[in-house]
Amino acid sequence: MRIFICLMAIVIATTSWAEEITLSTPAEGSVSTAEGLSAWDRVYEVASHPRCANCHVGPSEQPMWSGPSYGKTRPHGMNIHAGESRIGAETMLCSTCHAYREGTGNDLPHMAPQVAMNWQLAPVEAHWFGQSSEEICNQLRDPDRNGGRTMDEIAEHLNHDLILHWAWSPGGGREPAPYSLQEHVNDILIWGVAGFPCANDQ
Amino acid sequence: MQLTVNGQSHTVDVEDDMPLLWVLRDELGITGVKYGCGIAQCGACTVHMDGVAVRSCQVSAGSADGADVVTVEGLGTPDAMHAVQQAWVNHQVAQCGYCQSGQIMQAASLLDNNPDPSDTDIDMVMSGNLCRCGTYPRIRAAIKTAAATLKET
Repeated sequence: MRIFICLMAIVIATTSWAEEITLSTPAEGSVSTAEGLSAWDRVYEVASHPRCANCHVGPSEQPMWSGPSYGKTRPHGMNIHAGESRIGAETMLCSTCHAYREGTGNDLPHMAPQVAMNWQLAPVEAHWFGQSSEEICNQLRDPDRNGGRTMDEIAEHLNHDLILHWAWSPGGGREPAPYSLQEHVNDILIWGVAGFPCANDQ
Repeated sequence: MQLTVNGQSHTVDVEDDMPLLWVLRDELGITGVKYGCGIAQCGACTVHMDGVAVRSCQVSAGSADGADVVTVEGLGTPDAMHAVQQAWVNHQVAQCGYCQSGQIMQAASLLDNNPDPSDTDIDMVMSGNLCRCGTYPRIRAAIKTAAATLKET
């Protein structure tokens, strides 16, 4: 597990509409394992929420439609397959409908969500849909399966990925991810400073 | 904004958030592209933007600034039809015809990327283009005919 420098406060300006996030890393040694596990429970609530999990489908190439606004859980309509490219390059690009759009927009029910970056599935390794808390916890702390990211880099990733920001303001009658982006980033940092504990460690 | 449509350069004065579909139909009078749903659920408004199929109802004018757009009018001409258009005629695909320009543009994009598509490939690319008349079997057959034609040329 990596060692992290204490108490770093960075305010990073993002695009004009995106939420501004402060990365405030707790001091090393200031977070107990129990507090880290509590933070992880909240992170899991976010990771397993439909706004996040629907596109973290692992080896499947089909994004999912699930959550209160969709009724029953089912694969994305229109026989959509994002392919090995994860952007639909093998069949039909996600951006055919999820077009690049500056600012917020396209937030009426049934509209294709759009943000100012290319719509895509998460990498295969980041398999969250239908996965347990332990499975996701172990994946997210594993550099071989989290894109080689440190704790701070996971938090930075959350700060810069506008698809992730969309999860907290999805519009269209969709239920937002729980907590707030800032609270989620805080929990990632608490969990990381606690040493990335997972329930299966004991 | 400035854009090229079917090889012709145009300058239009519109709001950035106007859908490309309305730029084409209302500002430029290019009506081969159709309005079906306005929310990317039907595919009737499909055009090519910089060589890629897009739903023109979903693309903002701001995003299309400087783009090279092709509509069904620019894919081929009555005297020199694109292989997909010719196959559509040969198979008499259209019934009411409303969705067909979108179907043709999506099919042409499919064959640009996959010159020999299987039924599964066709279904994966064309399932976002709805046809209330149910012409899907003829669409699939026409795409295979167009693929064969393009291979010969």
